[in-house]
Amino acid sequence: MGEPETLLLVASGAATGFVGALLGLGGGIFLVPLLSLVLQLPIRTAIGASLVSVIATASASTTVNLNRGFVNLRLGVGLEAATSIGGLTGGVLASFLTQRQLFLVFGSTLLVMGMLVLLRSRRRNVIPDDDVEPGPLGGRLQEGEHVYVYRVKRLPFGLGASLAAGAISGLLGVGGGIVTVPALNTFCGIPIRVAAATSAFMIGVTAAASAFIYWHRGDISPAISAAVALGALPAGLLGAHLSERIEPRLLKIVMATVLLLMGVRMGLEGL
Amino acid sequence: MATDDLARAIEVALASGLTLGAGLLCVGLALDSSHVLQWGILAFMLTPVARVVVLTVGLLHERDWPFGLLSLFILGVLGVSMLVGARLF
Repeated sequence: MGEPETLLLVASGAATGFVGALLGLGGGIFLVPLLSLVLQLPIRTAIGASLVSVIATASASTTVNLNRGFVNLRLGVGLEAATSIGGLTGGVLASFLTQRQLFLVFGSTLLVMGMLVLLRSRRRNVIPDDDVEPGPLGGRLQEGEHVYVYRVKRLPFGLGASLAAGAISGLLGVGGGIVTVPALNTFCGIPIRVAAATSAFMIGVTAAASAFIYWHRGDISPAISAAVALGALPAGLLGAHLSERIEPRLLKIVMATVLLLMGVRMGLEGL
Repeated sequence: MATDDLARAIEVALASGLTLGAGLLCVGLALDSSHVLQWGILAFMLTPVARVVVLTVGLLHERDWPFGLLSLFILGVLGVSMLVGARLF
């Protein structure tokens, strides 16, 4: 592999890692299409490199988010149990669906999520009263001078979304944050920053579970994955640091736009 | 171990794995050694596993049985993924 190709791969990892960490995602949802469609890498090589890069981005974000107290550890563990089962069953599900059906299901899910996030972007999932009890899975969130309380609602829905996110992760080589972050925020009453941080905390594990399979199958190209991950790591750290400066509402609008665009793109692949 | 200490321990585990992985990848690219690159990638892949180990030990140490056992279950799923991968391919 020549130097220009290596630099292009580092830049791809950096761009997707930065945007991913900014939104609380791993960035795989952008990286897989970029590597496979734009840089013309074989899809399995693209997915393998994406998984390594997602691990780097999500782990880097988590080191930043833990410091800020945005990660809800227990909620993360509970949902992670669902994503890991989803990851294992993803392969089984895939055998029942054609690639086109997969794209259609995925695309329409993203479109519905995008519209819901957009419609509810003005709503904040926090209780301004610090004395309110957050419940076993809820928590407190400090923003500047204010301490907010949030409670977890509709947990079965959150578990279902995590299960689906795990399955999608196994199938498409993404971390699944594009499903969990909007689901946790829109349906489960979790503030967007906590949803993003807790999702990033889970994504590393989901991606690692799939990465071992790709590794043994020989689909993780050392040189390509190394270049992409080396770009994603510092960019992910930078994105995570900057994410706190963005207003929650703007974060939701960017997230909705990404969901709608990716939904249309995925849907078109399936038509 | 309080939850804050647990968060700190997880942070150290993640940062160590990432630093080791990135260091190996840089050396591998500089020396053009596929072997060193593979070790670097493996260090990245094992970073989330180390994170789950630290969290499981921490939660069990706190005697938080429901979440400690859930975390142990996740570790089991990761183990299955590693074994399945090794056996199938």
